[in-house]
Amino acid sequence: MIEILSASALATVQDLGRTGALRWGVGTSGAMDPLALAAGNILLGNDEGAAAVEVPVFPFQVRFAQDCAFAVTGADVAARLDDEPLLPWWSTLARAGQVLQLGLPQGGTWRASRAYLCVAGGIDVPPALGSRSTQLRGAFGGHEGRALRQGDSLRVGAASDARCGKGIGLVPPALALPLQLDDLPAIRVLPAAQYTNYTEASRATFWSEPWKITAQSDRYGYRLSGTRLEAVSALEMRSHGIVPGVIQVPPGGQPIVQMRDAQPSGGYPKLGTVIEADLWRLGQAPIGGRVRFVETNWDDAMAALAQTRRWLDEVRRLVELQRSQRGGR
Amino acid sequence: MTISNSDRVRQLVDWLSETDIARLELRGPGESICLQREGGRIVVAPDEPALATEDAPSVAATAASVGVFLHRHPLRDAAIAETGTAVRCGQIVGLLQIGALLLPVTSPCDGVVAAMLLEHGATAGYGERLVELHPLPAGA
Repeated sequence: MIEILSASALATVQDLGRTGALRWGVGTSGAMDPLALAAGNILLGNDEGAAAVEVPVFPFQVRFAQDCAFAVTGADVAARLDDEPLLPWWSTLARAGQVLQLGLPQGGTWRASRAYLCVAGGIDVPPALGSRSTQLRGAFGGHEGRALRQGDSLRVGAASDARCGKGIGLVPPALALPLQLDDLPAIRVLPAAQYTNYTEASRATFWSEPWKITAQSDRYGYRLSGTRLEAVSALEMRSHGIVPGVIQVPPGGQPIVQMRDAQPSGGYPKLGTVIEADLWRLGQAPIGGRVRFVETNWDDAMAALAQTRRWLDEVRRLVELQRSQRGGR
Repeated sequence: MTISNSDRVRQLVDWLSETDIARLELRGPGESICLQREGGRIVVAPDEPALATEDAPSVAATAASVGVFLHRHPLRDAAIAETGTAVRCGQIVGLLQIGALLLPVTSPCDGVVAAMLLEHGATAGYGERLVELHPLPAGA
């Protein structure tokens, strides 16, 4: 068991998401940075999709009620186990009674906003519709269908390999698969159905100017601010299916990017869609920060997804090789 | 595994003769071997005394694997263990990077970090001395 000591809200149990349930009107949920979650699980010998705790507000504290290998990935949050400072993207063995503290996200070489606490065996909450992710809108999945509270206890699943989690780490994908434009995080976008309904000047603005992530941004969606996007003509649309990554433009001309807790339908015109391979980059971009959008096409979007897959496969190969060598001694 | 086992040496010589590699050095715990090409033949070169690590006066954290030696974590600007800081036995004083993987370089004793023996970003050989430490007496 791990016990939540912090009163800070908004930490949730997440896995890689509840796919295949949109037809019932159930959104995807899942980690805002699925690469960080998958990589943390690989470090611990878990399935990539084992459930972990996503932490967006700091400081955050948990106490381990049992010996437990864990990894903290995502933002560098200057983690400490009791008094011992830990490296980011690192796996460690906690002893029963030890307290893990996650501090404020550090500047460093990658400015990110969410940390993932992965544990060997995964967070053991009952799956709902095939996923352990918290579905906040529907109040199911995760831990009692809600964000974690002070005093909550989470069960830890049985670990596949007791040797896991003995002090190895990873170079984060933000450094291994960097994507920046004018020193800002860059996000690749496919033009969507109503793209041509925006003036040529607005389309050019969308690709060439930075977009600020406003304080009205969360797991549901990121509301951006920048130069107003002008439609050629007002569009009246019926609600239609949408997925995480869809960029809608409400009448005010300030875009909204749907994120993991997006509802499954919406009626605003769609300017573009953030490609699946880059959703983690946006999911880690902090409120108040700025991002750039880069136009891409289907083939390049698929190639980007294959590239992240190759990175994860290589990470698993290296971690397993290391584990077999240590186990053999 | 014993590197200097004669069957293994013969195997290495066979492999090397198929390549255009001029010189091969292998180092393992407490031993090393060097093979080099002389004319058309591969011969065992004499040990270079400079490579011996056994008689070194100070204590050092060594490389448990081949890798790229890092003074600081790739996400951070500060060194993991600055020269002059006190460290405990087993504490991480540097990193070895192998592709995406980071392995710890740990202090073999309670001590004070005296010097980084390899540049940040330099390639480390197996067993290479990476961080020099002045040991502190037990219980200090």
